[in-house]
Amino acid sequence: MYPEARAVKLAWTLPTVRPGRSIARRGRWNLARRQAAFGVAIILPTLAVLAVFRFLPMLQALYLSVTAYDLVHPPRFVGWANFVSLLHDPLFLKSARVSVTYVVCSVVPVLPLSLGLAVLFNQSVFVKNVLRSAIFMPVVMPAVVMAVVWTFMYQQDGVVNTLLGFLGIDPIPWLRSSATALWAVILIGIWRATPYYMVIFLAGLQAIPADYYDAAKIDGAGRWGTFRYITLPLLKPTMLLVIVMNVIVAMKVFAVPMIMTGGGPADSTRVLPLFIYQTAFEFFDMGRAAAMSVFLFVAVMVFSFVQVRLFTRGEESR
Amino acid sequence: MKELIEAYKTVRPNVTVNPVITSSGDINQKLTVALATGTGPDIMDQDASFYELYYAKGVLEPLNLDVFGAKSYDEIIARYTPGGIAAGTFGGKVYALPYQGNSMSLFINNKAFAAAGLDPVKDAPRTWDDMKALGPKLKIVQGTRTVQKAFDFPYHSPRWEVQMFQPLVEQFGGKLLSDDGKTVYLNSPEAVKALTLWRDVTKATGDPKTTLNTPSNPNQDFIDGRTAMWVTGPWATSQIRQSAIKDGFTVVSFPQVNPAQPHTIVYGWMWGVNKAKPAAQKVVAWDFIRFVLSKPDEWLSKVAFVQPVKGVNETAVAKNFPFFDAHMKDVATASWYIRSEYTNEISQAIGRAVERTVYDGVDPKASLDQAQAEIDKILKY
Repeated sequence: MYPEARAVKLAWTLPTVRPGRSIARRGRWNLARRQAAFGVAIILPTLAVLAVFRFLPMLQALYLSVTAYDLVHPPRFVGWANFVSLLHDPLFLKSARVSVTYVVCSVVPVLPLSLGLAVLFNQSVFVKNVLRSAIFMPVVMPAVVMAVVWTFMYQQDGVVNTLLGFLGIDPIPWLRSSATALWAVILIGIWRATPYYMVIFLAGLQAIPADYYDAAKIDGAGRWGTFRYITLPLLKPTMLLVIVMNVIVAMKVFAVPMIMTGGGPADSTRVLPLFIYQTAFEFFDMGRAAAMSVFLFVAVMVFSFVQVRLFTRGEESR
Repeated sequence: MKELIEAYKTVRPNVTVNPVITSSGDINQKLTVALATGTGPDIMDQDASFYELYYAKGVLEPLNLDVFGAKSYDEIIARYTPGGIAAGTFGGKVYALPYQGNSMSLFINNKAFAAAGLDPVKDAPRTWDDMKALGPKLKIVQGTRTVQKAFDFPYHSPRWEVQMFQPLVEQFGGKLLSDDGKTVYLNSPEAVKALTLWRDVTKATGDPKTTLNTPSNPNQDFIDGRTAMWVTGPWATSQIRQSAIKDGFTVVSFPQVNPAQPHTIVYGWMWGVNKAKPAAQKVVAWDFIRFVLSKPDEWLSKVAFVQPVKGVNETAVAKNFPFFDAHMKDVATASWYIRSEYTNEISQAIGRAVERTVYDGVDPKASLDQAQAEIDKILKY
């Protein structure tokens, strides 16, 4: 953070010391304590909301994961049985594989695409704002609406196959073949995520001081050199944010496969969150569903931790 | 339903009825969660196959004999067609009553048949072999696009897939569940024959990759003229008559492997009462159910739901209902949709097996072996 920014923040967070208060009182409540108390007071409501609606359900899920619970009878403690059985359950393992495929194949292309678009829209482009807004539209569209629209677009006579027909390609049964259904769902994930992360990259690009580019220009750096040695390194924190956020969002994808395919054909699009939902609310096996949630949670945590370590390794050594 | 509620209010002005509308796709999840959290309704309206689960979970109140003016549960059972309330009867007691018990029969688009030079009555398929033979005459393919399917099986939901798979298995002499509902037979020789037949009929008549059917619009392909024949229930009649097909359709019996030993399926929706409610409320709940079920002809005329009560076919409404005899003929040879604590899991395993074979070309035996292994694991667990 730049020193100016830190100063501004400090000034904002400091409570004003009113004249007339005793030195003793001010001594007891020294500046650091008062700052801390003020900080706690500010975050307390948010913490309370998080505790009730996030942390308590998470703890509850952790507890349920070691029980057998059918929603009607009280939970019965079963120890690690849910976890052990999941590791030998081919449906769970297949669902986990589908989720991993979805995450990898939807996250990897989003990175260059969103960065490329951000770099493009950071330049002087004709009707830049109109184009930016148009590209951002998938983000504001509700997932349910988007899923329904894409379902029609993927039909035999839909827009996608009609366009492919112009290229002489036969209609593809996008959502009706286990060979293509997951790719169809992944394509939507990419289409929806790219503009969102483009905006984040754009913010990152605009935070890079113009002085660096001016200096590089004077030193005779070309476009690629400037991008490679100035833009990319300074975008590293943004990139970390984008990857971690994108992976978390992709791991939790639910609405689109639920609406478009229901997890089929033959489970080819049954991502883990969808399987968790079905196990909990169709098979009424809350304990098993909670155990799957714990697996998902651990997977997200491990991945995020590894990403943060990888991205900060170089900085620590400096 | 609104009319019936209003009519009930005139009879019982002190009673308040608050209907909660939920889509059929969500009702299972919402109802079960509501029952578990103590916020369930007094009366539940649910697919008949779920009552086995609800009974096992102990959330159902037995029918109040006094309210129905009956001395025994046998007397109640005797008011229905044979097996008509089997899905709501447990341990000799009645826990749920059906407001619809639907057969699955073959609907034929007369225009599509006429265009192929066929007569919808004379040339209607009696057997699955007949169905395969009709395939080339009715299936229209332009280039690589299927414009009209002769017939297609359902793929929009596992429950519909079971509605077709179960009678096929029974037509070959097998069954999906043991009589006590505890053992599942998904890879029996009869089930393998059923899935093989499904695949072969599909190859000859259908194109499952082109369907527009969805759980909320299961008859869409037939209504749009994308398929010439489609198996559905009598309730689809009003929807079809409102479409471009209008009255240009014919209903015949569900095709058979051997017409001399017919097997069809019936499924329905039932009403039961929440055991957790106060005693007085439960009495009123059964009284309301008695009242609304007392007019089976209204259900048939207004929403085309057939109540499996004795004498329904004698009513004037039934006599004027299109192809009512064809529907009733299928009811007479029907088994109820499988009922087990694990209906959902079994349905999904069957759905996956069907899709593996039809979409991915997996051998029917291998596909059903996998389904059996999946379900065995769940039952063992």
